[in-house]
Amino acid sequence: MAAAEWSRRSQSLKGVILDMCGVLYDSGAGDGVAIPGSVEAVQRLKQSDLQLRFCTNETQASRETFVAKLNRLGFDISVDEVFSPAPAAVALLKERGLRPHLLVHHGLLPEFESVEQKDPNCVVLGDAAEFFSYQNLNQAFRVLMGLEAPLLFSLGQGRYYKEGDGLNLDVGVYMKALEFACDVKAEVIGKPSSMFFHSVLRDMGLQPHEVLMIGDDLVNDVGGAQSCGMMGVQVRTGKYRQSDESHASVRADGTEADLRRAVDLLLVHRDAPRTSS
Amino acid sequence: MAFTLYTLLQTALLCTNAVAVLHEERFLSKIGWGVEQGVGGFGDDPGVKAQILNLIRSVRTVMRVPLIIVNSVSIVLLLLFAVSLELRNPHRTGSFWSCRAVPGAQDALRKLRQASVAIKFVTNTTKESKRNLLERLQRLHFELQEKEVFTSLTAARSVLEQRQLRPLLLLEESALEDFTGIDTSEPNAVVIGLAPDCFNYETMNKAFRMILDGAPLIAVHKARYYKRKDGLALGPGPFVTGLEYATDCKATVVGKPEETFFNQALSDLGCSASEAVMIGDDARDDVGGAQNAGMLGILVKTGKYRDGDELKISPPPHLTCGSFPDAVEHILNQLL
Repeated sequence: MAAAEWSRRSQSLKGVILDMCGVLYDSGAGDGVAIPGSVEAVQRLKQSDLQLRFCTNETQASRETFVAKLNRLGFDISVDEVFSPAPAAVALLKERGLRPHLLVHHGLLPEFESVEQKDPNCVVLGDAAEFFSYQNLNQAFRVLMGLEAPLLFSLGQGRYYKEGDGLNLDVGVYMKALEFACDVKAEVIGKPSSMFFHSVLRDMGLQPHEVLMIGDDLVNDVGGAQSCGMMGVQVRTGKYRQSDESHASVRADGTEADLRRAVDLLLVHRDAPRTSS
Repeated sequence: MAFTLYTLLQTALLCTNAVAVLHEERFLSKIGWGVEQGVGGFGDDPGVKAQILNLIRSVRTVMRVPLIIVNSVSIVLLLLFAVSLELRNPHRTGSFWSCRAVPGAQDALRKLRQASVAIKFVTNTTKESKRNLLERLQRLHFELQEKEVFTSLTAARSVLEQRQLRPLLLLEESALEDFTGIDTSEPNAVVIGLAPDCFNYETMNKAFRMILDGAPLIAVHKARYYKRKDGLALGPGPFVTGLEYATDCKATVVGKPEETFFNQALSDLGCSASEAVMIGDDARDDVGGAQNAGMLGILVKTGKYRDGDELKISPPPHLTCGSFPDAVEHILNQLL
């Protein structure tokens, strides 16, 4: 059975990376709602000998605001355990001397305060939600068309995420729209970019085969992790859909009901005494 | 604006002209820069002012004749350049749909009608209803009726009727008129045209959720962008592409150059592709699309036509000719 299979292999793991939205909590009115069992699951992981990091493509708020929200929901998480695309983008922009035209959620703007934005020579897209108005998109489009070498960055390439009781369009959709309009290819910062995953692994000081990724997005969480050499387990919460289990190209190492169940299976074999084989 | 070598040369020429034009009596003497006024005592080193005066005098003497020649050549070159620009991009009048009719088009149409061929007027517009188009053409003295006009909106409507779908119409007000009579309650399909007012996050999300639930996505066309008075603006294409990505579905595109468009128009006309000819100014969308559907294609060199367009499609147009009247002559003499 698939569940037993992947959890047996977990004995050699030294670290776990968790997706956040759809695994720990669901977006919704106010702070959203913690997924039942996730708070305890995170605590158990912290008490274990596994290294723990959190990876999110959340770009509607700065990391500080975002982590404060999770603390309020009961999660024991600190900012330096969280990896999100915005800081990675800022580092990349500075490194390459780029000045961005930002089409991002207002809550994310503080992350870009230290970056020069006058006379932009590239466009950065984030999960802008209602800020994805026709005017804003047209403005970004015109900036790109006015550049001799159009440069488009996208903080993630997700198709949708769960909000309230329905699914909402994510940044990937608008990335594809601008790619089509301007005939350019966007550079993705964040999951599933391997550069992004490797920066997390470097921080943990671990090799890919020693780490497990747990997420609700089959392509960007599980698929992205597997491309780097990590194990990937999908949970049936958040944006999970039945059709994910018969996806054409990505096959998760395991599919579990929720984070609580996944952590149970993960730790049961680690707590058990090693059997000689 | 690129600072080219040409700009540098032009600047140098203008400066030289400016210096050469300084009049000794009427100007230089009056401001104390005359030829006697700058020289210091005999034997003294010439001061800066004296050196400048010498320079001015030299330019005026030495450059007089060369300047005449260089100026004349520049003027002739500039005029030739401007004329060639105009020849390459004359004011576009369009094949049929614009404020100015192609000369002789109205008569050509009449001749065509006398030959008793069935005619359909086809266009990819999504912002205007058939009625608006008709009025515009009738003002230009073209004789045609509403039922002869087939737009990409008509094509979309046909698809909806054939598949008995109730659409969520993401279209401009003026285009909605072409869908009167179609049931839009409890929609189970999404129709997208050029409708900036509908391309906001809320409406896109609504369309997305419907398509995820199984509603077919019908795109009137997939233009990437169009020209507005204030610059380029996103067309429906990017939004259709985004929704296709979000839902992992393929949209049914009904406008030119899709085969669906031409097939629908032909079925309206009641004839087969091999019995039909398409006349258009867009090599890819009009002629290419029609020939792919099995029709003959005639490319006219008016409207958006650019030199060499006929080489951009394969197979090439059955005929490339000057304008609509020429196309009609060919049809009447060779094809009927």
